[in-house]
Amino acid sequence: MRVPSTVSVTENLNAPVGVAAVEYLRAVFGDSILYEQVTCDAIPTLWFAREDIQRALTLVREQPFAGKRFEMLLDLTAIDERVRVNRTGQPASEFTVVYHLMSFSGNGDLRLKVPLFDNDLHLPTATVLWPNANWYEREVWDMFGIRFDGHPNLYRLVLPPTWEGHALRKEHPARATEMDPFTLDDAQTDIQQEALKFKPEEWGMKRASEDSEFMFLNLGPNHPSVHGAFRIAVQLDGEILVDAVPDIGYHHRGAEKMGERQSWHTFIPYTDRIDYLGGVMNNLPYVMAVEKMAGIEVPERVKVIRVMLSEMFRICSHLLFYGTFAQDVGQLSPIFYMFVERERIFNIIESICGARMHPGWFRIGGVAQDLPQGWELRVRELLDFMPARLDEYDSMVLNNGILKRRTQGVGAYTTQDAFDWGVTGAGLRATGYEWDMRKQRPYSGYENFEFDVPIAANGDCYDRCAVRVEEMRQSLRIIKQCVDNMPSGDYKSSHPLTTPPRKEKTMQDIETLINHFLSVSWGPVIPPNEVSMSIEATKGINSYYLISDGNTTSYRTRIRTPSFAHLQMIPAISRGFMVSDLIAIIASIDFVMADVDR
Amino acid sequence: MNWSLESAETAAAPQRGGSEMDEFIRRNVMMVKLEDMVAWGRKNSIWPFNFGLSCCYVEMATAFTSRHDLARFGAEVIRGTPRQADMIVIAGTVFRKMAPVVKQLYDQLLEPKWVISMGSCANSGGMYDIYSVVQGVDKFLPVDVYVSGCPPRPEALLQGLLLLQESIGKQRRPLSWVINEQGIIQREENQVQRVIRGPERIAATELRSPDEV
Repeated sequence: MRVPSTVSVTENLNAPVGVAAVEYLRAVFGDSILYEQVTCDAIPTLWFAREDIQRALTLVREQPFAGKRFEMLLDLTAIDERVRVNRTGQPASEFTVVYHLMSFSGNGDLRLKVPLFDNDLHLPTATVLWPNANWYEREVWDMFGIRFDGHPNLYRLVLPPTWEGHALRKEHPARATEMDPFTLDDAQTDIQQEALKFKPEEWGMKRASEDSEFMFLNLGPNHPSVHGAFRIAVQLDGEILVDAVPDIGYHHRGAEKMGERQSWHTFIPYTDRIDYLGGVMNNLPYVMAVEKMAGIEVPERVKVIRVMLSEMFRICSHLLFYGTFAQDVGQLSPIFYMFVERERIFNIIESICGARMHPGWFRIGGVAQDLPQGWELRVRELLDFMPARLDEYDSMVLNNGILKRRTQGVGAYTTQDAFDWGVTGAGLRATGYEWDMRKQRPYSGYENFEFDVPIAANGDCYDRCAVRVEEMRQSLRIIKQCVDNMPSGDYKSSHPLTTPPRKEKTMQDIETLINHFLSVSWGPVIPPNEVSMSIEATKGINSYYLISDGNTTSYRTRIRTPSFAHLQMIPAISRGFMVSDLIAIIASIDFVMADVDR
Repeated sequence: MNWSLESAETAAAPQRGGSEMDEFIRRNVMMVKLEDMVAWGRKNSIWPFNFGLSCCYVEMATAFTSRHDLARFGAEVIRGTPRQADMIVIAGTVFRKMAPVVKQLYDQLLEPKWVISMGSCANSGGMYDIYSVVQGVDKFLPVDVYVSGCPPRPEALLQGLLLLQESIGKQRRPLSWVINEQGIIQREENQVQRVIRGPERIAATELRSPDEV
């Protein structure tokens, strides 16, 4: 671990690729660019009219800028602007559609926005440019009621087909208790079940070929091999998979709507439950985004504590993946071994945070409390114990001939496919592309750690597993550096917006008493701004796009999760394989449904 | 009906004066009512349905694995289809889109069947008072045991299972199908654990410090 340097994330985001793209778009569109917005994350943000957006997106997709391309549509979402107060300078808009593009080769971002009005909510689709726009646009239609002209199947994605209204519009009720009480009699069950029935014709599937009849198989939403409430309808010719249609939304907990209701501080526990295997690692992009808007610099000790716990959760999550992956291709034993290690790590996490899976332990401006006495011993025990176990699992799982034959060459895709479908994390690195947020855009002090970014070559199921296994070893390396070099100092920043405020700064006199009272009861007021903060989460790039309207709650919380993008890719990589290969492919993706539906 | 195993060393020696046959009968023959025997069997061989909704399922799966080992309580035969199972653990958030599916799966479980509601979401909606979440699975299913926590520890699920077993052991059911009234006799009402354990919990004066591991 090196001495802390002062690389800031902002410098990375002001990359030449973004600057060149803005200059190019200015030259092409001139005054047609409605506005150039400045946000505190320093991502160039341009506003385009609906008439220009498709051309702008096409240019950005096709053109190299400073020799680099914007390979990925990282996110596509919308904002209901109708009750937003602080939007000085921005073009008039009731609903704004936001495109977040990312250049991997140039390591830069670009954000494009389109203003729309409630009486005329439609714009051209981007599915012709990026295949992964498909689900994002369906989600925006589902949540905001914005139509995308030319979209091949603009059905509801997340909410049930029978739903009325669009949930993320401000007039839609947030609480279940504001709506009519939920009942489910037999008649309603039938109506709902009928609405959920898979109709192949809706998806352009034909029922028969020349000499055979296809079979349609409904897998899920409750099936032991789909890892949660996920459903996939497959079209089969014999046992060969002809096509597949994933169906999600069975795990939608309204986290984004929740963000508009909870205070900045009390939303933290909800982030834990997004990628529910990632624990406190989910807190990290959220608190860092809020800290960026609030202008909080956290002490070095906080950064290292956060890194250490995040890496422990990465190991926990990968162990669960490893075990279930082996189980899904037929090895029942490994998971029983791997859960023992998981328990050991949970013991440490529990002794530090007080909870196992969802500690919600990071705070705006710090962490909840200092490390307990004797924590190093526990962590060192783990560091001594784990490597030998991982070696044993290599011989048990990765070197197993049957597992190799079941997974090598199955579900393979190229780096370009990964970009097209928005695949990040181990799924991208398994194709041989070395890209890790922790290396390319270091956050929370990752620039001070020595670790390698494991990659593979073939991009198949086996490689995705092998990459994650090696990542666990690298995480152990990082944790060791944390233990060896834990800085002394505060576990909380002294910034006034730190929540909860530092005890010695509270209840000294009437001023500090009032400040403390307001900060704890109402929560901090974050200055109006927009920020997007991404991290390398357990499953890929997890990003929080927060908009503050100068209030105690967020105006819009957008959570970009890796699993959402990864699931959309399943049909493209499974066609032509057998049903049992589909199970291996699903297992190798490593998703959790809460990370898909939020 | 109640019996327990004893170790060979401490087991009562054959009694003087009794015949060998008496001793043989004492050790090998039990006199019980058939319905007690059936209830005891039911209690100790619950077959759970492999069903999970969200985070809680991970802790439920942890309860199956080596450290916690659900098999100790005879409930390790996890079934992949509801038609072979008699207990469903609603492990996780019950979503409105998922509710009809949950109901169908419950309907497919074999009688007699039991429901454990695991975690705050399934109990009451918990921290998700939000448009897409049913505020407690008991809005459309009868629940036998509620396990609290978010998510509950595996130990909490085991405790919930033991409470369910205790309750099943006290139930008396007809030995064959009965039309109309099922004739189930609940020997005693299920106790509220808060009432039973409350005084002990409140009496605690020394809590472990969070400053030490």
